[in-house]
Amino acid sequence: MITKKKLIQFKNIVKHFEDGTVVLKGINLDIYENEFVTLLGPSGCGKTTLLRILGGFLQPSEGQVLFDGEDIVNVPPYKREINTVFQKYALFPHMNVYDNVAFGLTLKKEPKDVIQQKVMRMLKLVNLDGYAKRNVTELSGGQQQRIAIARALVNEPSVLLLDEPLGALDAKLRKEMQKELKYIQEEVGITFIFVTHDQEEALTMSDKIVVMNAGEIQQIGTPTEIYSHPVNEFVAKFIGETNIVDGVVQDDTHVRFEDKKFECDARGFDKGEKVDVVIRPEHLDVVPRGQGMLKGTVKSQLFKGVRYETIVETRVGTSITVKMQVSQDKPVFNEEKQEKISATGFLVDIEDVPELDDAKIVALASAEAWDAETEEPISIKTIEHNIQAETGEYAVTFATAAGTAITVKVAVAMPSRNENEVYQEEIYAMNFFKKVEDIQESITLDTDLETWASASAWSLEDGEQVEITDVKYDFDPETIEPGVYDVTFSTEGYEYQVSTTHKLEEGKQVGLVFAPEDIHVMKKKEGAF
Amino acid sequence: MKSFRRITYPYVAWILVMILAPMLLIMLYAFTTAGNEVTTFKFTLANFAKFLTDRDYIEVLIRSLVVAVETTAICLLLGYPIAYCLAKLPEKNNLLMILLITMPTWINMLVRTYAWMGILQDNGVINNILGWFGLGRVKMLYTDFAVILGMVYNFIPFMILQIHTSLAKMDKSLLEAANDLGANRTQAFLRVTLPLSLPGVISGITLVFLPAVSSFFIPKLLGGGQFVLVGNVIESRFLTAGDWNFGSAISLIMAVIIMLSMWLTRKVDATPASAGKE
Repeated sequence: MITKKKLIQFKNIVKHFEDGTVVLKGINLDIYENEFVTLLGPSGCGKTTLLRILGGFLQPSEGQVLFDGEDIVNVPPYKREINTVFQKYALFPHMNVYDNVAFGLTLKKEPKDVIQQKVMRMLKLVNLDGYAKRNVTELSGGQQQRIAIARALVNEPSVLLLDEPLGALDAKLRKEMQKELKYIQEEVGITFIFVTHDQEEALTMSDKIVVMNAGEIQQIGTPTEIYSHPVNEFVAKFIGETNIVDGVVQDDTHVRFEDKKFECDARGFDKGEKVDVVIRPEHLDVVPRGQGMLKGTVKSQLFKGVRYETIVETRVGTSITVKMQVSQDKPVFNEEKQEKISATGFLVDIEDVPELDDAKIVALASAEAWDAETEEPISIKTIEHNIQAETGEYAVTFATAAGTAITVKVAVAMPSRNENEVYQEEIYAMNFFKKVEDIQESITLDTDLETWASASAWSLEDGEQVEITDVKYDFDPETIEPGVYDVTFSTEGYEYQVSTTHKLEEGKQVGLVFAPEDIHVMKKKEGAF
Repeated sequence: MKSFRRITYPYVAWILVMILAPMLLIMLYAFTTAGNEVTTFKFTLANFAKFLTDRDYIEVLIRSLVVAVETTAICLLLGYPIAYCLAKLPEKNNLLMILLITMPTWINMLVRTYAWMGILQDNGVINNILGWFGLGRVKMLYTDFAVILGMVYNFIPFMILQIHTSLAKMDKSLLEAANDLGANRTQAFLRVTLPLSLPGVISGITLVFLPAVSSFFIPKLLGGGQFVLVGNVIESRFLTAGDWNFGSAISLIMAVIIMLSMWLTRKVDATPASAGKE
């Protein structure tokens, strides 16, 4: 292989803006001659900032930018052998196509006939010969794009920077331009540095992809390397659809996940290290259940044009169902004394009964009494109850001094727990009482139901909290009537996205197979979500 | 669509009564002799002939045009750099500066012109300050200088605002693109900023030239009696001499000159570089 020359070297580039935000946290990157390099990352990851530093429009706060071995941090943009294709093209609206493309050459005072030759050659390269005399504002987005490329390339730079140049184009045009850009790059044989947040664009065009996130480089590699061997969860998820499951490294050639041991390349990890296991959807195959390395149920299928995106659930989450008693809050009206009193039933954990006193009971039942005319509160004088530390229903009566009284039911219950022995997970939730209005007025009902039922789940292995991802109930919150309802909370199961060519029935029992080389093991990110 | 059209009727009526009718009346006066009865008009070109053949009037006309051109040129030369600097300011300061520039216009132009009389007169502020330094008095009020100063002072906000608007709406990435393609600051300004701000310059010129060429109270107050411009002639025909016909004729001649000059500036604007606009 021919050793290529390092053209650009970023050395420990740090950039913070005046308001203190750090956009780049020490970037080290080498770019070689004739490379098509893509800076890939979500918006705000610092990729455009890095490009603008190279173009000379921004100064790094720290670090060096070497171009051909020389530090160019203090060289103004117009003296750099670098040209840029801007995000919104930035064509000069007061000039026609020819003058736009010729702009750089006329500044260099090249002879007119040379300029004409070069401009025409460039227009031909970008497939726009015959457009020289047109106004740039009359052109379509794709044509303006090509003019911007021609205008930059005509100066024969050593590097062309492209800042999300295809963002404004529609899907079909974008595909065409991807091919064309790659063709142009091969034709002129210079380095292209391309910024995008589109992983597909990056994969199709690049020789080298630099994945960035939060001001740091996550991974540098060829498209194949990045796709098949992502170094962490961020890269794996950003580059295409993927399945990530928890696993434990057994030895150099085995990893354990879903309670089974699988062969794979796990070199470089400690024995017993917890890792993320990545399997791409297209590397999974659906087979009859008996032959599967993993067994599961088809949960859903989406037709994606050529293939089906199938979700296979291999493990059901741990779940628990509790009762919710819904009451309507109707105050009792004492006409003689013109007093009203209201209270609702509630539920007490058996362990909390000894600590129950009158004040707590009033609070739990939201008991209140008031004058029917003036609406002024009246104090509740007597509370009668026979609650004991045994499960069952008890009556509680609240009364005012004038004798206005209301009786509600209180249930003492054992909290429900559900242990999932197979997956070593436990989930907990309590039956609860609620008023109709509370449910109707709730904006985030799922979260509120979790709070009301004190629902939580954790791993029995290390006691760590497990997220409750699913809340199911059999009522319509808008039209709910008083009564008893079931509410089910469950944790996430294991699901695999599989790319299949044929249709599968929902609920069908299937098996999944994969090859050892399709399992990719990566380090778990410290303090990851 | 039809009901929409009906909405425009009041505006059409307004235009007819308030704009078209007075103009027709001026035309009528300009082409008729004095002392007409409503029913009997006597057509004449004498009013025009009187103006165009009298050397004094022609001199006044030329002086007016020269003063207006001078005023416009000074406004442009002073206003462009100011507008340019304003456009470079950060948003917040920018709004404050625009406010400061427009603030004087909240006060009546006449009042402000009287204030200048106080500043410029022989025992005014400037001459007093010069006196403290032992310098002699300088005659400033009732000179060409005072008139042009008054006009520039009164009309320069129009120029600044027009140019500022066209500079502010210019896409900043165009300058970056110019830099990127090898243009240093001066080249980028000459090849990109300046041509793109031309529409603002043109409308600024129009907005300064028009009031400057027909202004009458600035030359009257700051120029004193000896500095007669066309505006003053028209004013005196209508208000002092009561010769409405001759006044109307001069107004028409001015209107034609203004229309011609506007047509010329439009043409300049539309010719070379600006072909790609909008």
